[in-house]
Amino acid sequence: MGRFVARRLLYALPVLLATTFLIHALVFVLPGDPIQGLAGDRQVPPAVLAELHRRYHLDDPLAVQYAKYLGGLLTGDLGRTFTGEPVADVLAGRWQVTVRLGLTAWFLETALGIALGVLAGLRRGGWADRIVLAGTTLAIAVPVYIVGYLAQLILGVRLGWFPVSGDQDGWPAAYVLPGLVLASFGVGYVARLTRSSLLENLRADYVRTAEAKGLSRRRVVVLHTLRNSLVPVVTFLGVELGSLMAGAVVTEYIFNLPGIGQQVFQSIQLREGPTVVGITTVLVLVFCLANLVVDVLYGVLDPRIRHD
Amino acid sequence: MTTMPHHRSVRTAALLAALVLLAVPACTRAGEGDDSPVPQVPGGAFSVGLTEPDHLTPGRTTSSYALQVLQGLFDTPVALDPGDGHVIPQAATSVQSPDQRVWTLRFRPGATFHNGEPVTAQSFADAWDAAAYGPNGWEANSYFAQIDGYAALNPADGRRPATDRLSGLRVLDPTTLQVTLAAPFSQFPMLLAFPAFAPLPRAAFTDPDGYDRHPVGNGPFAMDGDWQHNQRIDLVRAASYTGTRPATADAVHFRIFTSKDTAFTELRAGHLDFMSTVPAARAYEAKRTFGKRYSVRPSGTMDYLGLPLWDHRYANPDVRRAISMAIDRGGITRAIYNEVHIPADSVVAAMIPGHRAGACGETCGYQPVKARELLDRAGGFSGPMELYFANSDPTYEQWMTAVANELRQNLGIRDVTFRKMAAADLGPILNSRKTTGPYRQNWVIDYPSMQNYLAGLYNHDNRMGWRNPRFDELLAKGDAALTRQQSTAYYQQAEDIALAELPLIPLWNWQDQSVWSSRVGNIVTDPYVAGLHLDRVTVRH
Amino acid sequence: MTDLDDSPGTPRVDDVLPPPAAPPEPRGRKASGSLSSDAWRELRSRPLVALCAGVVLLIVLMAAVPRPFIALLTHDSGRCELADSRVGPSLDHPFGFDLQGCDYLAQVVRGSRPSLLIGLAVTCGALLLSVLLGLLAGFYGGWVDSLLSRVTDVFFGLPFVLGATVILVAFPSHGLGAMTLVLVGLGWTTMTRVMRAQVIALKDADYVHAARSTGAGPLRLMVRHILPNAVTPVVVVAMLNIGNVISGEATLDFLGVGLQYPALSWGLQLNAAQSYFLDFPHLLLFPALFLSATVLSFILLGDAVRDAYDPKLR
Repeated sequence: MGRFVARRLLYALPVLLATTFLIHALVFVLPGDPIQGLAGDRQVPPAVLAELHRRYHLDDPLAVQYAKYLGGLLTGDLGRTFTGEPVADVLAGRWQVTVRLGLTAWFLETALGIALGVLAGLRRGGWADRIVLAGTTLAIAVPVYIVGYLAQLILGVRLGWFPVSGDQDGWPAAYVLPGLVLASFGVGYVARLTRSSLLENLRADYVRTAEAKGLSRRRVVVLHTLRNSLVPVVTFLGVELGSLMAGAVVTEYIFNLPGIGQQVFQSIQLREGPTVVGITTVLVLVFCLANLVVDVLYGVLDPRIRHD
Repeated sequence: MTTMPHHRSVRTAALLAALVLLAVPACTRAGEGDDSPVPQVPGGAFSVGLTEPDHLTPGRTTSSYALQVLQGLFDTPVALDPGDGHVIPQAATSVQSPDQRVWTLRFRPGATFHNGEPVTAQSFADAWDAAAYGPNGWEANSYFAQIDGYAALNPADGRRPATDRLSGLRVLDPTTLQVTLAAPFSQFPMLLAFPAFAPLPRAAFTDPDGYDRHPVGNGPFAMDGDWQHNQRIDLVRAASYTGTRPATADAVHFRIFTSKDTAFTELRAGHLDFMSTVPAARAYEAKRTFGKRYSVRPSGTMDYLGLPLWDHRYANPDVRRAISMAIDRGGITRAIYNEVHIPADSVVAAMIPGHRAGACGETCGYQPVKARELLDRAGGFSGPMELYFANSDPTYEQWMTAVANELRQNLGIRDVTFRKMAAADLGPILNSRKTTGPYRQNWVIDYPSMQNYLAGLYNHDNRMGWRNPRFDELLAKGDAALTRQQSTAYYQQAEDIALAELPLIPLWNWQDQSVWSSRVGNIVTDPYVAGLHLDRVTVRH
Repeated sequence: MTDLDDSPGTPRVDDVLPPPAAPPEPRGRKASGSLSSDAWRELRSRPLVALCAGVVLLIVLMAAVPRPFIALLTHDSGRCELADSRVGPSLDHPFGFDLQGCDYLAQVVRGSRPSLLIGLAVTCGALLLSVLLGLLAGFYGGWVDSLLSRVTDVFFGLPFVLGATVILVAFPSHGLGAMTLVLVGLGWTTMTRVMRAQVIALKDADYVHAARSTGAGPLRLMVRHILPNAVTPVVVVAMLNIGNVISGEATLDFLGVGLQYPALSWGLQLNAAQSYFLDFPHLLLFPALFLSATVLSFILLGDAVRDAYDPKLR
């Protein structure tokens, strides 16, 4: 197990380097002057321009910029935004918003998804099954911003049940609606996955044996089937947690949650290289970690899989 | 760095449970939905919707969002009357010049910063020096360009300047500052209302980053805690304030939104008290929902299409006029901006002294048939037409689409394409004059004077590549004239030349829509630099 | 065995797939044909599938020949008049007018083309790429596999919207072709992993060993023996993927980093509608309806195909 984890971490290193370099190249190598862009119609005096270029290493060649960036990274310096704020501070401030939103969505997804999936699986072919299938498919198919605007309009403004936007003070009320919107997509997948996995397991030999032994169906489902059925669901939920933590650009945009997704989208538009690269690095890292955790969990849940 | 998010998420997870238990749902606030007039009593706190500013050190920003906060934190030498924009004293008691070149500013004695440090003529001189010093890279640098010695602080070749002091500034005594300009400039007092001309305490220079998070000013409000980036900025009434405009309310809470739509929705839901940036798309909704608590106020900002005169296809003024006449300004402001913006009939906005209704004449009207004739007579238009604009606001794309449709339908230009890009990309393309077609920009005024438009848009470095000696001469005469009437007359002649040559096509002037909750009263906004006059707002509490 | 290194990291589309099938018996073309014909029979018997196929067919027709639809359904003058901006639906103009005063039905019909083109082109491109890479990685193993797997990780870890936004903002004057490339560039990883897992499962099958012992070269082994048996699950994932691509492209348009005038698309229409939808809900409604119906149909069709090819769920 230890060796497995160590090797996975080792694999993550070149992936991280390659990803940061890729983003770095895209953000920095292109024409365009972020400093002039900030100034709008007013032309920046040459002396000011020269100073700001020097401050943000904008005149260096790509390789030098990237080397300087990596150097800073090793000493824990993620660079500064063009308003002079350290990127690490930006990340720190925004991270908790994204984590809150991600966790809210994730819990909703897990609870609703598994509950609906079990319900549908046990009532296969019945009305409950059909409704769950139809509803989850719809949730998967309708783009999140349409769901978002409709939810905001109906549940937030017309009915007034939820705050329509939130910042850090809005926890937890302001996170329910965006969490629900963000989760709508995943709920569909979790429910379907649970359902199909449950169905597959209910047909398995050991279930028949258990039933033949005279155990009640409820006992069979709860004790035997559910645990095994959850293996693929846990896999999905693990990866999902990683991608939820990666910030939800659209949801954060619609509900004005100042999280990672919103920040990085803005920074891309402003050509704020250090911010974009910094956040992406962290995102990829989180993603790799989530994958690793999933792999380990996979082994714990399903005894047939062993990492040596 | 690599452990940070992990660490944070662990901490956050630990906080989750505690927060769930502690979180109190937003309680209903006093007076919500009460439409009776707000009593004129001091006290209470109100919230204002804001977009994240870039900096809060006066010389380091020209962002209107920052200016709104600085309106409460700082007293500039003068202010502009919210009614007609005339100069009124604020930190200075008088601003005078015998020749429009050497100006004497006398400051109110006894004023202090929020930390108790006295405000003196030196506080102003230090602040101006810092902003004008090129290597500091402060955003408001160019506002000091008229002051003598600016060039020495900003060498054209990017070398380090030999001095860090403006030679045009002389502190005569603790309350008197003498400012010498490089050339006569009659509009100088107006410029002094811009926040970059506010004084700075010593703390601003010892710890610039800390100061930017927690600016210490000389205005009616002081910071209450640090600026919480992307979340909030809290102001509290300054106890030490002795100036001309003491605050009525006890506190102002700026809440920062990324999306103005969201801010508006928040205000509708009763969680915010004021915002002045209601998106034009929500105009009907705002009028319907807020009634008397909705106001629309003309602003000096003008959208225009600049033309690349170095491209031979745009060299003939008739082609430029034809493009102008093919655009249905009224139709666009109605369809895209819900009649919030006003079609331009002049280079300057109607609120600017010296504006003449219809100065642009037929050229700025919608004349599709004449436009086509004009274009045909000028030899037509060949090749693709590329329209350049920044992606900073979604409405730009909407009205550019309308313009593109009109150019195709009215002028028969078949191949119209977009060059939509980040502002960071557009700026350098415009500066290096590499545009191959009309580009969209707007001019935001610094002070309400015709001179600000004319010098800002048509100066020697203009992005259209337009030069006209007669125009330059008239502008200089206006700057040196001793009376307002004289300068206005020169400026108007210069404007006529710009409109006849039409290197840029004026489109429309913006208006700002404000809405506020029934908790606040005495809402005074101005279109110049201050925005909402925070000090005057009264709160029902 | 730690061959599971990558396979658990499966995202939304393929997680519903069964794990790589146990090495099947070597089959001639006839046998696999019977599996497809079984599947086909299964598909035809379901009314929902017929409905979805109908919707997809309609959208395909609209994208291919928009004119008859427009001529038949509305009175489009071909001009956009700002005076008509946002006028609601009427008998002559069933969807009303858009922000620019263009007939909305005509615009929505014309908007189907880019969505569909991108959905299909991206899926085909990603399918080809992933079949190739998955085949190479799975067959050769060793450093080839390691390298390709790490590259897959790099692209897999990039969040879709962010990755696409960075690239598209960096190249502002992109058209349909560039959009397709970007979406392929970000969309090949899942299918590659599925393909690789299939190939790994198959390459030790008896019939492959048998073929190898008769002197078949690697190319022949890959193309003739492994590919036909490994490709089905990948194609199923690709089917499911079409809807996601269409939805993803619309998201990028919605965020303002996707297609540009004079292109038309549902995503662009939704983008234009977003701030006006409280007062003029029809602006949001029609493109949302078309987009959702298309995506839904593709996803349900993909689902049905997967069910049909997966004997375990029958």
